[in-house]
Amino acid sequence: MDFSYSESELLFQTELRTWLEENLPEGWLDGNRNIPADNKGKGEFLRDWQRKLSEGGWAGISWPVEYGGRGATLIEEVIYEQEMARVKAPPVLNIIGTAMVGPTLLDIGTEEQKEKYVRKILNGEEIWCQGYSEPNAGSDLASLQTKAVKQGDKWIINGQKIWTSYAHLSDRCFLLARTENTGKKHEGITAFLVKMDQPGVETRGIRSINDQYDFNEVYLNDAVADDADIVGEVNNGWKVSLTLLSHERVGVARQTFRLQKQFDELVELAETLEKNGRPLILDPIVQQNLAIFRAKTKALLFSYYRHLTNSIRTGKPGPEGSMDKLASSELGQEMLAYAMSLQGAENTLWKEDALVDASWQRDYLRSFGYTIEGGTSEIQKNIVAERILGLPKDIKK
Amino acid sequence: MDFAFNEEQTMFQQTTRQYLQSKGDLAIPRNYMEGKQEILTQLWGGLAELGFMGINVPEQYGGIGLGHLSILPILEEMGRAVIPGPYPETVAFAIPLLNEFGTEEQKKRYLPDVASGKTKFTLAIIDDRKNQLKADLQGDNYVLNGAKILVAHAEFADLMIVAVRTGASNQDVSLLIVDHQLHAECQPVKSIDETRTLFTVSFSDFLVPKENLLGQESAGDQILKAGLNELTAAWSATMVGGMDRVVDMSAQYVKTREQFGQPVGRFQAVKHKVVDMLLALENARSLSYYASWTVENKAGDTFEAVSMAKSYNSEAFIRTANANIQNHGGMGFTWEFDCHLFLKRARSLENYLGSPQEHRENIAKESGWNKEKVLQYNK
Repeated sequence: MDFSYSESELLFQTELRTWLEENLPEGWLDGNRNIPADNKGKGEFLRDWQRKLSEGGWAGISWPVEYGGRGATLIEEVIYEQEMARVKAPPVLNIIGTAMVGPTLLDIGTEEQKEKYVRKILNGEEIWCQGYSEPNAGSDLASLQTKAVKQGDKWIINGQKIWTSYAHLSDRCFLLARTENTGKKHEGITAFLVKMDQPGVETRGIRSINDQYDFNEVYLNDAVADDADIVGEVNNGWKVSLTLLSHERVGVARQTFRLQKQFDELVELAETLEKNGRPLILDPIVQQNLAIFRAKTKALLFSYYRHLTNSIRTGKPGPEGSMDKLASSELGQEMLAYAMSLQGAENTLWKEDALVDASWQRDYLRSFGYTIEGGTSEIQKNIVAERILGLPKDIKK
Repeated sequence: MDFAFNEEQTMFQQTTRQYLQSKGDLAIPRNYMEGKQEILTQLWGGLAELGFMGINVPEQYGGIGLGHLSILPILEEMGRAVIPGPYPETVAFAIPLLNEFGTEEQKKRYLPDVASGKTKFTLAIIDDRKNQLKADLQGDNYVLNGAKILVAHAEFADLMIVAVRTGASNQDVSLLIVDHQLHAECQPVKSIDETRTLFTVSFSDFLVPKENLLGQESAGDQILKAGLNELTAAWSATMVGGMDRVVDMSAQYVKTREQFGQPVGRFQAVKHKVVDMLLALENARSLSYYASWTVENKAGDTFEAVSMAKSYNSEAFIRTANANIQNHGGMGFTWEFDCHLFLKRARSLENYLGSPQEHRENIAKESGWNKEKVLQYNK
């Protein structure tokens, strides 16, 4: 049992820290973290950041060195997420590309696909999104209905995707479509690499409860793909999608470290706000609540590391990831809800009228997505119950 | 970085589990509750034979010379079977305090006997409000008058470490190694947790030789703080074992208990509750490992880490033990089923060595959320 980083890991950390200090947008580290609110400005801002990351060699650190990555170890990937969370770095626009599509193509893509896509994923030239969820296929993803039909040498795709992050800024989509109806829903699905800029693809932004437009509906009306755009084999898409997910090794680390940062900011908030002329942090009840959050955030961090130790020892990620996801999403919600309570009667003021910083209101509202996206809490609990505790499976069709 | 048990810890864990199972597992606390106290003597002898009484006793005094992290898996296993007896008090309080503050003479006198299983320790730190324990130095002896309450296993322990007032000021606290079996009056008090017997121990002109003073006179508060910190980490680890067991019990029961033609564990209302128990266990285990790691490595944040473990684990143990009763339906409410053993143990540990609220006050203090920091911040 050892709760510390090795020397080479600390060196990696320092190198990244130095790079971030030199390359984050001006004023970022001093708390001046303004991302343009309008869609166009936000898109440009995120593309710029993606380019910087790529140029600095910090876009796809787990990629093999011969493809422009750093061949980072799992722990180094975790340190990366830790540092990014520490400075609240801007979101990585091409995260779907660098964390999942690229590694999947390197793993099971054709030579042609590797040649055509991989380099552009890493240098940020092409941004990727992920076409999975549909209006009637959310938690029950395998019941997706978007169809791809072969006509001549082309595949014609029709249907609708939803909750596609950054689709409006993306060049390509990793998309699941039904190519055959065998009656078994996990069969007959194929994974396509679809070009977004074509007449058959239309995206419409979804306005979220926090007044942001990060998610989209994607309408496919006779969208076109080639045989060369298929990943793996026809009708083998479900398995390919699982391969894709297995490459997202540290997504949960991102959440876990974000929580550590969020906790520190919650303490700062309690130090800043006053009631009857006294900082809230002196209130014993506030201290009790903060102490509970402190213990829980630490617990989640160490649980994450314990599960990571397990993955490293067994060589593969286990269902413990579902526990980390469950716990971190729910704690994130709790802490942001508490931040709202701390702000008293002015807690609903936002945008330019916010009491402290409108990001509290925005993040609080955003947090309702935590327990829905990437598998709802209910689905995660089923996974944990069935795969870790061995409880009976739900009745399903 | 490595956050899991190493080979040695795994070995200690497996050996303890096998040994406790061979002795009857939950039949151990059951027998003890029914008054068959000899089970404890047998158990202690067996533990000593396995070398488990001397894990953190230095080699020159007959032990193995390892640290707190090596005891951790044994403590967890003991919690899993609600084992009675002052094991934590002996190995995670008396031994470390003797190691750190004992005189050479005291180490020679006590440590080999602890390692061989001959001597068991408990501690007496809570004063009887109406009869505070005082010690007056007269010649070569301290003369003790007064009483301590809630002393665990006074009947079974051979010696106890007692906090006494040796002066007029509140700071004048000293620690004495006391052979209470001589002629102190040990009055049992009834508790819903019959696996941890509690006593009021009264002293009347009771003589303790001066050489039994542990550490400096009037340095008791500081020594206690260090000792209690390690003991608190140890009891927090036993709670992890208890929680591990109730999660297991619930998972097993809801898999086999059928209603409406299917295992009740298929219903999400039940299934998800067991998952919530597991999540609480995961948190508790993580905080316990970290607390033990800081204790062994004398890390700067030891006090905070231990307070996080104790405050969280105490409440989580009660919560999961409650849920375990509910998951067992009517059977969980019977004396015959084992669910109540865990609930009662959880309650008897809740405020032992500090309540969750007090430990959270420690976290606040250690985190610097106090006045001075804030005043500084406002400047």
